[in-house]
Amino acid sequence: MTRMLARRTVLQMVATAAGVGALGRMADAAGNDAVTIGWPNDIPSWDPNQRFTPDAQPIFKAVFDQPIDQDPQLKLIPHLIKAWDLKPDGLSMAVELRDDVVFHNGDKMSADDFRYTFLDRIKSGVKLDTANSWKKVEDIVIESPTKVTMKFNAPAPTAPQWMAFLGSYVVPKKYIETEGLDNFLRKPIGSGPYKLVEYELNSRIVLERNDQYWGPKPKIARVTIQIIKDPSARVAAIQSGQVDCTVNVPVREVERFGHDANFAAELNPITRVILLQVRNDLAFADENVRLAAHHAIDKNALSKAFYGGAAVPLSVVATPGTPAYLADFQFAYDPKLAEQYLAKSNYSPGSPVKVGFAASNGQFPSDYDIARAIVQMWKKVGIEANLEVIEYAKYFELNRAQKLPEATLYSWDNATGDPEIFGGYLLNPKMPFSAWKGMDVGQKVLDLFAVADYEKRIAGYRDLNRFAVESGASIPLLQSVLTMVRKKNLAYTKYANGWVLPQSMQWSA
Amino acid sequence: MITTVFTLLGRRLLAAVPILLIVSALLFCALRVLPVDPAAMSLPPTATIAEVEAKRREMGLDRPLPQQYLIWLKDAVHGDFGTSIVFRRQAGSLVAETLPATIELAGLAMAIATVLGIGGGLLLFYLRGRIFELVADMGSILLLSIPEFLWGLILLFLFGVVLQLLPFTGRLSPGLSQPHITGFLLLDALLARRFDIFWSAGQHLILPAAALGLAFSPAIMRVLRSSLFDVYQEDYIEQARLRGVSERRILLGHAFKNAALPTMTLAGVQFGFLFSGTLLVEVIYSYPGMGNLMVDAVRNADLPLIQTVGLTYCVVVLLINTAVDSLYVLLNPKLRVR
Repeated sequence: MTRMLARRTVLQMVATAAGVGALGRMADAAGNDAVTIGWPNDIPSWDPNQRFTPDAQPIFKAVFDQPIDQDPQLKLIPHLIKAWDLKPDGLSMAVELRDDVVFHNGDKMSADDFRYTFLDRIKSGVKLDTANSWKKVEDIVIESPTKVTMKFNAPAPTAPQWMAFLGSYVVPKKYIETEGLDNFLRKPIGSGPYKLVEYELNSRIVLERNDQYWGPKPKIARVTIQIIKDPSARVAAIQSGQVDCTVNVPVREVERFGHDANFAAELNPITRVILLQVRNDLAFADENVRLAAHHAIDKNALSKAFYGGAAVPLSVVATPGTPAYLADFQFAYDPKLAEQYLAKSNYSPGSPVKVGFAASNGQFPSDYDIARAIVQMWKKVGIEANLEVIEYAKYFELNRAQKLPEATLYSWDNATGDPEIFGGYLLNPKMPFSAWKGMDVGQKVLDLFAVADYEKRIAGYRDLNRFAVESGASIPLLQSVLTMVRKKNLAYTKYANGWVLPQSMQWSA
Repeated sequence: MITTVFTLLGRRLLAAVPILLIVSALLFCALRVLPVDPAAMSLPPTATIAEVEAKRREMGLDRPLPQQYLIWLKDAVHGDFGTSIVFRRQAGSLVAETLPATIELAGLAMAIATVLGIGGGLLLFYLRGRIFELVADMGSILLLSIPEFLWGLILLFLFGVVLQLLPFTGRLSPGLSQPHITGFLLLDALLARRFDIFWSAGQHLILPAAALGLAFSPAIMRVLRSSLFDVYQEDYIEQARLRGVSERRILLGHAFKNAALPTMTLAGVQFGFLFSGTLLVEVIYSYPGMGNLMVDAVRNADLPLIQTVGLTYCVVVLLINTAVDSLYVLLNPKLRVR
């Protein structure tokens, strides 16, 4: 009996193995109702309000909905809220919610869920990053099941932008309150186009189409997001067909895949900037040195060498197409002018000024290589930089302790494209990112944080961007790129901020 | 015999307490002197410097280091290893969630390393004085010089990309769901009688386990060979020959048993290293174990998580060493007499 069972078990295993192999091949052959995406990072938590992680946003956007969305060109568009009206003083915003939205468990979304997300659960003491982004919310008055008014205790000019930004996802009040937060984290539900059906930490996320979705239904029924942290492994996975598309692969691999007829390989410029965060003291107290440091950098050469020429050289801390980008302002690459600036301060290639320079290694593509190239460019004009590698996490501690060197290579992501989240944050002396502590620039930034009028605010940031560069407080370098490789017959919608959304994907014949 | 083993186990476990205290204190101090700011890391980009300072105070980072350690130790004794900065979950529960996957991987890797190591060691010894000895010797040195992450990349490229024989991402194929019973996927699949899952999990385990096994087998191979050389100097080998026992039986029936003891000791030590070696291999194969978690923790300066994972590695190595020592006592009558 035992022997028979054992033999049967073995036969069953062999048959199953053959079946699994056949199923795999069938899935490949069918392929049009499922997609596997190789993604570089896992989500930090299934509470979408909890942590601000730019890489996780496309995954959150599949399961949860935001009050306001962005179109591929980043224009704000209605989503869960049909209309919004930010008052001229920026102290309140009236919002009209859709009345046809249901969560994955069938509960209807209402003004209660909105208030709970942006006020009640923040005030309840749950540790959420949204507690910081929405700290100005004083009250949310429910006028009707679909109409609410947000009241702020200080002008919140970027409230609409933040409604479409990190962490701003409406969560189900009733479900969290009845099931508890732990159960919500184990079995999260949102109102998004996909339902979460399986999650394994650091391994994979399996989503299934939400057939009750209020908006356009996704074309692909099942999405598997395979977490593959190693870039070489992501390349191998797409090459071998284990995933259908992947992002953040090395630039040279994109060029290689570009020659393969089975794949589409892209270098997409996105709303992420690579810049030098500079101090206003030490050797960089001298404006001549700062301006020389900027004029000495050949950004075109950096783009060609490390990003296949796809990374757009920047003259301001904003990317093309965003509101405060200055298309007509160019900060020239001019090593002769750099030498002239340095000569004014009695420096030359023979008698160089010594500066400290920090860069991460592996935080974003080619970061350390870019830093080394800049060191060489500076050397030619008379700036001798001592390059040190720092961890991204170390940046905050060094900055807090005023121990950052004169310049630090840095990368900054801003999916909204709004200038407050570019220059506003990077040059705000009260925020942990700004290495520049001078109030000449700092006060301008602080003033702009209180300007509610959109046109006035944008004009102010355009002036600020130019002023910061012309005074050497900011050294923007390049617009970063998102590398993507996908099977040729897998189409998706390209977003200017680099979102790769499963709900926008579809197979072509 | 059992009493001797239990006495040894008791002694080892007692000795483990001060070792763990020292390791935890060293780890704690080393992490706290790193120039990273966990308070800033735990706050969103919109946080002001004042808010970061308030967070530092809330996290107790402004207190003297010994005081911080004692608070941590008190909580740890009660099973609270702190909250992960990245995941905002208990560090202990994150480790508990990922540890079975790493044990499964390390266990299979050790089995591969042992089989290859013993097989290779016997082969190396068998080829002594023959024309192929030099080639085999060179081969074992070559194997010894390739680290586990390089094996990982070589096998991935060969069997995953070129031949496309085996999967190399995660633990299961898309379309299959993991049964959650013990956390040990192979075991869970068998308990759930899901042989399709067992097969898929096995396929996913082969490459990372082989990468680790291949990297750690040469040491076993070479120690076994040199132990066999020592054993062959003993008189009883010659006496066996005089009794007409075949060379094969002398090797496998007599010499191997005695040469296996030092080899086993080395294998135990190797298992500790192999367990730590899972870190890079897990990243290469997107294998959701503790190593992968550690990489996340280090990248984000998640000090509570680094501390917990580091301590878990220490506990596992101590347990392995204790188990190997106990096994050694069981197998070696001389030690039981003492």
